Amino acid sequence: MTERCAVVVAHGEMAEGLVSALARVAGPQENVWAIASDVEGGLAQAIEGLLAERAAGCEAVLFSDVDGGSCGQACRRLLARGVVRAVFHGVNLPMLFEFVFLQDRPFDEMVDEIVSKSRRSIGVHQ
Amino acid sequence: MSVVLFRVDERLIHGQVVVGWGRPLSVRRIVVVADGLAEETLEQEIYRTGLPETMRATFWSVAEAVERVPALISDDVPTIVLSEDLSTMWRMAVEGVPIAEVNVGGLHAAEGRRRVLPYVCLGPEEEERIRSLEAAGVRVTARDVPASAPVRLAGRA
Repeated sequence: MTERCAVVVAHGEMAEGLVSALARVAGPQENVWAIASDVEGGLAQAIEGLLAERAAGCEAVLFSDVDGGSCGQACRRLLARGVVRAVFHGVNLPMLFEFVFLQDRPFDEMVDEIVSKSRRSIGVHQ
Repeated sequence: MSVVLFRVDERLIHGQVVVGWGRPLSVRRIVVVADGLAEETLEQEIYRTGLPETMRATFWSVAEAVERVPALISDDVPTIVLSEDLSTMWRMAVEGVPIAEVNVGGLHAAEGRRRVLPYVCLGPEEEERIRSLEAAGVRVTARDVPASAPVRLAGRA
């Protein structure tokens, strides 16, 4: 089975923070990385460079913060070029937990489960 | 006038434009002026993804913008005109689009450019365009979001 890997792409320190929080809860993940929106040299190039360096042969997915924001736009361009297989948006910590748990499942099943389960993680108690 | 901002930003439509400027200025229309994007439907779709329902985006070539932006100035839809470089603003200005001020919101690091503000890097081409625009009576001011202090770029070019 093809190995999977993921890059979290978000504004400010959000991506590093999420990957750090994920490590705190689920242990360090060797196949989940973070890139911040203000990286030098362009976001799409930075993501592609990271994947080329660390994830050759890996089936990559991206987790972006805001659909249509500059991070989400860069991710969509890489999806259009076939560099990655899926771009999740609205990333939160439960979504990354689901990736860790479900990454060995068939691809479409993994994608559907990640979206439906992380969506259910959003709510309010009053 | 209903063009409330002429802005240069290499990221074009993104959070600072939509939320940072769009909300306080009640913007309902964004016009992106870029020859390379006027026919790129995928890129246009990507840029439109993050827009709220109250805002719409159109993509024009420079020639289309020269023809059509003056009419926007006299209508009543609050509009931001965006380009990814100063040269596009300069071309519009010399072709007769009445631009009083250009807001520079994001010109990022690249070979041959030096950083003059955290979000503005200028090279010889940008410096020349700033001088040309100022000489033509167009103020060129850097300001990424409304909460930042405006900085005249003329003295730094």
